[in-house]
Amino acid sequence: MAEARTFQLSMSPHFGSPQSTRRVMYDVVIALLPALAGAVWLFGFGGALLPVLLSVAAAVAAEFVCLRLMGRSTSAALDGSAIVTGILLAYNVPPGVPWWLPVLGSVFAIVVGKQAFGGLGSNLVNPALLGRAFLMASFPVLMTAGWSAPFEWRNPSAGFGTSGIPAAQVSALPEADAVTGATPLRAWKDSFGIDEHEGAAVRENLSTPGTYMNLLTGRRGGCIGETSIVLLLLGALYLFVRKVLEWRIPLAYLGAVALFGWILGGPGFLEGDALFSVLTGGAVLGGFFMATDMVTSPVTRRGRIIFGIGAGLITIIIRRWGGYPEGCSYSILLMNLATPLIDRFTRPRMLGEVRKHA
Amino acid sequence: MTRLRTFPGGAHPDECKELAEKRAVKRIPAPETVRVALCQHLGAPSTPVVKKGDKVTRGQEIGSQNGFISLPTHSPVNGTVAGLEEAPLPHRRSGPVVVISTESEGGGPAFEPWPDFESRTPAELIERIKLAGVCGMGGASFPTYVKLSPPPGKKIDTLLLNGAECEPYLTADHRLMIERTEDVAAGMRILARALCVDDPAVGIEDNKPDAIEAFGKAGIRVEVLRVKYPQGAEKQLIKAVTGREVPVGGLPLDIGVVVQNVGTAAAVAQAVRDGEPSLRRIVTVSGGGVREPGNFDAATGTPFSALIAEAGGYGDDVARLLSGGPMMGLAQFTDAVPVTKGTSGIVALTSKEARRLTEGPCIKCAKCVDACPMKLVPCLIAANSENEKWAAADELGALNCMACGTCSFVCPSDRFLVHYIKRAQDMIRASKRSKEA
Ligand code: SF4
Ligand code: SF4
Repeated sequence: MAEARTFQLSMSPHFGSPQSTRRVMYDVVIALLPALAGAVWLFGFGGALLPVLLSVAAAVAAEFVCLRLMGRSTSAALDGSAIVTGILLAYNVPPGVPWWLPVLGSVFAIVVGKQAFGGLGSNLVNPALLGRAFLMASFPVLMTAGWSAPFEWRNPSAGFGTSGIPAAQVSALPEADAVTGATPLRAWKDSFGIDEHEGAAVRENLSTPGTYMNLLTGRRGGCIGETSIVLLLLGALYLFVRKVLEWRIPLAYLGAVALFGWILGGPGFLEGDALFSVLTGGAVLGGFFMATDMVTSPVTRRGRIIFGIGAGLITIIIRRWGGYPEGCSYSILLMNLATPLIDRFTRPRMLGEVRKHA
Repeated sequence: MTRLRTFPGGAHPDECKELAEKRAVKRIPAPETVRVALCQHLGAPSTPVVKKGDKVTRGQEIGSQNGFISLPTHSPVNGTVAGLEEAPLPHRRSGPVVVISTESEGGGPAFEPWPDFESRTPAELIERIKLAGVCGMGGASFPTYVKLSPPPGKKIDTLLLNGAECEPYLTADHRLMIERTEDVAAGMRILARALCVDDPAVGIEDNKPDAIEAFGKAGIRVEVLRVKYPQGAEKQLIKAVTGREVPVGGLPLDIGVVVQNVGTAAAVAQAVRDGEPSLRRIVTVSGGGVREPGNFDAATGTPFSALIAEAGGYGDDVARLLSGGPMMGLAQFTDAVPVTKGTSGIVALTSKEARRLTEGPCIKCAKCVDACPMKLVPCLIAANSENEKWAAADELGALNCMACGTCSFVCPSDRFLVHYIKRAQDMIRASKRSKEA
């Protein structure tokens, strides 16, 4: 009879799926690339590519240094998660900002937003969004004014006229030239502060098929990564196919943005523009790539829906009544904080469980 | 085309069935020495009734039943008892074993065959199934007669045979279903009669079309199931076929259902119809670590090493040796362990096939949550377990985890979720016991 042989012991299951955290993270990186191409097309190499590259480099370097200082394996710096944070941070700053701004934001995002909490998986809020909030608080002027308009890099003298925003609307804006590159969302928000009729005219101008088309293709002012809706959707589609993205959060978020945009986003009740709400600002970028950040969003299915709806509602409230025209990132940050609580109260009904109240 | 039935959640591990599914069952003679475990069934081990030097015949009782949840154990061979010892076993660290030197395997039936089983009373049938030592052959090895004896007041209306065989690599049930369809069918009729159930059905995953066809021809109601792990888990099978959910903390019989593995049905037929105790079983030997995977009909007490030798021996790379499939099977440190009634397969995995042994941090991707067939939140239970928050783990339903491994399988960070949850279960149970005491 054969000699007895011995083997290594281990726990079941002894079989694993080919999924890995690294693969998930790099899939997200890949999904974000079309929007980068769009950003370069709109804002040029200096306006879009350079900030993104610098931001990524800073994020990875910061991650590396933190891991080294804590005596952990530095190979985790390349697990893809820092790259994602770097890209997202850069996507959330305006094109044409000084190069050090995204670098500073990325370092803050990694050091304070991620490593201070214990590294990958332990952070409460999305590091990139925290980094952006930090930049907003520290450099409000750089973060909100002086945006470069689409294609300005090719034709610096063209100014506002080629930005894809209908000229009529531009002239309707007070002090138009002071806000070169104003975003449609800013124009929309400011329309509430001016004469009632003028404001209504501006909003009407913003609700034309032409504007929607420009918004879809990205021919409008906005942060580096948020404008090219079509390309963002392409990336999201890739993540769906790769089973990295689950539909609940994006659908709940964008659905809520549309719904509450319609209910609350106009001058009166039920007078808002649902489509405009979804297509402007960072709603699409946020809905597919930031609200869906796995670490900081709920794990339960009902929780994900509640999370998305909550963030959508807060986005609209900030846009309409807040100090900034854009509420996407703050709304997600706020819901991030609620995530542990949401998870706790949305435990699914177990198989065979009879709930007394449900 | 009938609708494919299934349950919510689950995952799709590579099936890897092609290695052995076409290999007809080969009956292998008992080796020179068999080591028959006295605890092949769940519950109390049987009490040895032989001593060193005793002559035993095939089918003779060598261990007697020891309590309600227990069974007698029989000698699979004619031979001499070489000793009683404590030895390593595939399903527990070690247990009492009767070592027998084999002389021959022949001989008549141990019990009177009942080809006319239709004329026997349910009580007679159940008694025979008990005396023959039949336990669940699907893995858990629960004494079959106990499942057939529901407490008074519980009405059983549904009998399901489990032919799902959802574990990767394993093909023993598949081969059994197409090669011994008649045995399974007879066993099914006996079980139905014992339970007074009219219309039993067998559930089979649709990756076994030949088995589905064979049973269809035999006039058996087949419920075709979608290929998904763990389709063969009792509660998932019941949910898929009947739509009923076994209540939390309850048993299938609480909702009128009894599930028996197809292998168990075949063993029941042999016990009742042929007068044969449970002495042998079909074992799949597979995995990238063996040279010629196949299915073997082996006597209980046959060492794993002998079956590996039948399968052409080990390949160059064997990272792990498992009793059972890769999802729920148990890693073995030695191949000297013997086949028991519950050994459905022996799988030798190469280092490439085996799951990674290093884990990363939980990125809360929720894949485990979406996949858990019990609808638990594995990542949170595991996190509480790691932080030794047993009460919180209990509140999240840790005790309802059936350790199917789906969550760990899908986890991109290779978290040892099952391990953490099992640890929480141990601690929760211990604290509940100490509170009662
Ligand atoms: S699958 Fe793994 S990484 Fe994802 S939530 Fe579950 S435990 Fe965490
Ligand atoms: S092992 Fe437990 S927690 Fe994990 S999927 Fe299976 S039942 Fe759910």
